[in-house]
Amino acid sequence: MRLSAPWRVVGHTILLALCLSVLVPLLIAVGTAFKPSNEVYSILPWPTAPTLDNFVRIFTDTPFAIYTWNSVGTTGLRVAGQLLFAVLTAYAFARWDFPGRELLFALVLGAMMIPHQLTMIPIYILVAELQWFDTWRALIIPNLAMPFGVFLLRQHFRSFPKEIFDAAEIDGAGHWRALWLVVLPNLRPALAALTIILFIDTWNEYFWPLLVTDTPESRTIQVGIRQFLEEDFDDYGALMAGLTLASLPALAIFFFFQRQVMDTFVASGIKG
Amino acid sequence: MTAVGTATSSAGAHAPALARLRRALGGRRFVPYYYLAPMVVLLGLFTYWPFVHTVYLSLTEWNLRPDTPLEFVGAANFAEITGNRLFQDALRNTLIYIAGSIPLKVLLPIPIAVFLWSLGPGGQVYRSVIFLPTLLSFVVVSVVFLWLLNPIGGHAQQFFALFGLSFPNVLGQPTAALWTILLISTWKIIGFNTLLYIAGLASINRDYIEAMRIDGAGDWAVLRHLIWPLLTPTTFFVLIATVIFSIQQVFTPIDIMTEGGPANGTTNLFYMVYQYAFVVFNVGYGAAGTVMLFVLLLAVTLIKVRLLDRHVHYDQ
Repeated sequence: MRLSAPWRVVGHTILLALCLSVLVPLLIAVGTAFKPSNEVYSILPWPTAPTLDNFVRIFTDTPFAIYTWNSVGTTGLRVAGQLLFAVLTAYAFARWDFPGRELLFALVLGAMMIPHQLTMIPIYILVAELQWFDTWRALIIPNLAMPFGVFLLRQHFRSFPKEIFDAAEIDGAGHWRALWLVVLPNLRPALAALTIILFIDTWNEYFWPLLVTDTPESRTIQVGIRQFLEEDFDDYGALMAGLTLASLPALAIFFFFQRQVMDTFVASGIKG
Repeated sequence: MTAVGTATSSAGAHAPALARLRRALGGRRFVPYYYLAPMVVLLGLFTYWPFVHTVYLSLTEWNLRPDTPLEFVGAANFAEITGNRLFQDALRNTLIYIAGSIPLKVLLPIPIAVFLWSLGPGGQVYRSVIFLPTLLSFVVVSVVFLWLLNPIGGHAQQFFALFGLSFPNVLGQPTAALWTILLISTWKIIGFNTLLYIAGLASINRDYIEAMRIDGAGDWAVLRHLIWPLLTPTTFFVLIATVIFSIQQVFTPIDIMTEGGPANGTTNLFYMVYQYAFVVFNVGYGAAGTVMLFVLLLAVTLIKVRLLDRHVHYDQ
């Protein structure tokens, strides 16, 4: 549908303003990351003498490298675990009828209705009792169950012909081999989509790491950034370099898989 | 290792019994349960049990220290919290966050989405740009704005100074700080909500529009009588998602930018719970606040899951 000319002018004007409001703050932040320290407070958004010093200092003056390693490690392990358990669960529900199926299914999907924030206090106490406080275990293990993943995969399993299981069976593949050899290859697009969402969500997570980390040994990037503020870290060039690096993984994924990322986020509606 | 060793030796002694057990447990009818076991155990341990335990904790008094006993106090926590100034401010702010979010995050994206949709594939660059904030962490976003709005030497202040104006210290005044956080959270989510609407619009059959055009309908008539009614389910979905977002996700900008201040001006129920439980270590207050938050969220989340189910069905 084409709008009439005056409406199109209004539309483009609003959209340009919106895009500017998105881009200007980001450009100032990235520009500052490349500024030498005597230009950090200059009103020019970009550096006149670009430098990588800030990126060096964020690594040499702060535990940023450890924060990054913690983010990479815990995000990787957690997402891998979430995918595995979601696949196993969705597979069982898709493939078999068994006593208690409805009840268990309700149990799994019902968990989607209990936001993390409502369970945090007892989990925090449990984590402390298990001596997991300030370790990777605290960041990973309480978050391994992802009912939303089961929910999304179930949607894809539904379009799966039942015969595919039977065919695998006739070929002599047990249920375990059928899962890896027949089912997973067919689920690849859904798994890729789910991985992207889980990765970005986990990488950007702030609340839980804030609760259970206490030293650089286990702090993730997001909590590390808050720590800079806490310590009145006033090297803003280095801080902006840190923010830039922290945003890079998600932006890189977006850059390479633009359409898929946008479609996936929309299809899931998980944000929010 | 000892346990394994014992198990092996006893297996040797009771081979027939073990074989029977193995036959019984290895039977096909147990297979589905093995697949489900990890998820069920994890959910039991980290979702359902904590959930019930929160309710129990809300009736107790405890300071999180292992060496002090937990004391059962009944409903006292609820009475004490609701009588508290902090709670009243947090509840009021939560409602303002929600009410302010509806025009900014739910209604404003509709005309933007309709315009982008009318552009067809030509609007791709716009879509990509407005989607960017969705990918950034709220921590990064909050720190960037904190720095831009810095009353001393921040870019907003410098920009105003060019025109001889002084930029107000927006985070230093309760009402202004709350609206600043509301606007920043709008900045973060508006692109995503716009895309949700575009997805809703994509399912509208363009033939209907052509038919209306031929009947002489103008832009406004098409919008009012065709697009708006067909967009209602999406609008409702965005509304619910936004309400949840406004309760939960503003935690980060609140914590990074104002820590709930000035004068409780920006705190919300969730931030209040966090402060009770993890800043002053009053577990009973924190849990009681959580239970109240739950009642609020449950209603909203129930509707959301219902809608999500339907939403995904439409896609197929």
